Amino acid sequence: MLRVKDLESGYGPMQVLWKPSLQTKKGAITSLLGPNGVGKSTFLSTVFGSVKPWGGSIYYEEKDVTYMPTHKKVEMGLALVPEGKHLFPEMNVYENLVMGAYVKKASRHREESLALVYSLFPVLKERSGQLAGSLSGGEQQMVTVGRALMTKPQLIMLDEPSQGLAPLLVQEVFRTIQKMKEEIGLTVLLIEQNADASLSAADFVYIMHEGRIKAKGSPEEIKGSPEIREAYLGI
Amino acid sequence: MSSKIARYYPLIPVYAAYLILFLIGRNVTGMWQLMAMLVFYCAIGQAFNIFLGMTGYVDFGYVAFMGIGTYGMALSISHLYQIEGLGMWVILIGAVLAILMSGALSVAVGAVALRLRGAYFAIATIGVNEGFRFLIEGAKIWGGSEGIIFSGQFTHIFGRKTASLISTTWADIFVILVACLGAFVTLRFMLGKIGYALMALREDEDAAKVMGINVTKYKIIAFITSASLVGLVAAFAWGLKLTYLFPDEIFDISYTVECIIIVLLGGAGTLLGPVAGALIYGLSKYWLTIILPGFQLLIFAPIIIVIVVAFPEGVVGVLKRRVRGTVLEKFIV
Repeated sequence: MLRVKDLESGYGPMQVLWKPSLQTKKGAITSLLGPNGVGKSTFLSTVFGSVKPWGGSIYYEEKDVTYMPTHKKVEMGLALVPEGKHLFPEMNVYENLVMGAYVKKASRHREESLALVYSLFPVLKERSGQLAGSLSGGEQQMVTVGRALMTKPQLIMLDEPSQGLAPLLVQEVFRTIQKMKEEIGLTVLLIEQNADASLSAADFVYIMHEGRIKAKGSPEEIKGSPEIREAYLGI
Repeated sequence: MSSKIARYYPLIPVYAAYLILFLIGRNVTGMWQLMAMLVFYCAIGQAFNIFLGMTGYVDFGYVAFMGIGTYGMALSISHLYQIEGLGMWVILIGAVLAILMSGALSVAVGAVALRLRGAYFAIATIGVNEGFRFLIEGAKIWGGSEGIIFSGQFTHIFGRKTASLISTTWADIFVILVACLGAFVTLRFMLGKIGYALMALREDEDAAKVMGINVTKYKIIAFITSASLVGLVAAFAWGLKLTYLFPDEIFDISYTVECIIIVLLGGAGTLLGPVAGALIYGLSKYWLTIILPGFQLLIFAPIIIVIVVAFPEGVVGVLKRRVRGTVLEKFIV
């Protein structure tokens, strides 16, 4: 579905990505694992277009989208849940969610998307009139995920959704990601540091180190290889 | 249908305020100049609000658009006065020229500076007005530092009596009309898709991008709209009213600062805010000048600090929260 080949990018003179390649399979959860500062977020930003690629190619549904501007990618069905909670703090929960249905294609399905988000996160329905800035960390994360779902994506990319959440909530987040795959049939690209949790959730895993893909395989293969675990994951 | 009209109710208090100012000016002796000044502040506040209020970006070089708009009017009158039978059309041409020139300058500035975010944008724009002034003076464009004095050509077109009527009365009425237009455009933006896009990018530009909003496009639309409106205001309020211009006066940064004060005082991003801000600022400036001439800035600075600390959302921002859930809610946006 998404096919990234030899992607290169960085900031100013500093190159961050050194030709990593990655593919997602339709209806599956693909996870990109690695510790802090290896370029995972840069990878997502480059795929999504907020950081300009220097080289390589990005194909989505067999279409070259390497240099396509971000807002067009959203219309094509890509969604990004950015790292940290990028909410609109002065809007209430409902307004935040509706902002997600901004692009034309998504606004046609606004009501059904909203029902879907509320069924996935019932607590958001209760909180719909509350200002997003006043929610708890976990609830804010739900709003960011819900808002991304409102764009009616086929592929959703999550940038460290478990960051800064209590262990119980982390489990909740991963359960939701499973649900998105199983109940809605979404394709998921998950970026995580939390190796344990994402190894159990993912269908296929890539391991990134210093801007390169160092290993890939099914979670079982990764777990079964002591070298990979020790060298890159520390578990 | 009625709900569609109801969406435009917020224009009522704004237009009512303009009407009251106009009526006081017409009917109370000696009040016309004060009312004209207040409407001028309303108009530039309304124009600036479309950019600062809706995007959250501060443009310190804003007065450059006022300056270039004034040139639009001046060039039209000083170059076309010999054409017979042009009459009133020369003013229309001047107005169109003012819009085009300030719009073009805003495209040039925006294409470069709007790539920067927040404070960096503000810093990048600080020099725009000074730079443009030095360019005109140094390269001796449009009369250089001597400016353009077109009172002669102006009376040549209209005759002494009509010319003075236009300068003393019609110029101000045109400003009122532009102020009305500014409020209308602001509300249209607020009600439309663009309003949501601007609100989203004001609160979190990255999140807005992720929502599929073409943030650059909407920032530039807001910037051009705001710049051409204020260019038009200046074409009437400075060009047509004074019938002369000097670069060091029309590129004076203090007008940018006044715009910022008016918008923040009244409530950035609200429709009624610029009007409230303009009235508070204009009236207190006027009275302080009378009571304590020379000290008005010294006194005004702490007053502004107090107001901004006490009402960070501006007067109308606070008012908006107060009237939530009452009948007035529909009228104050």
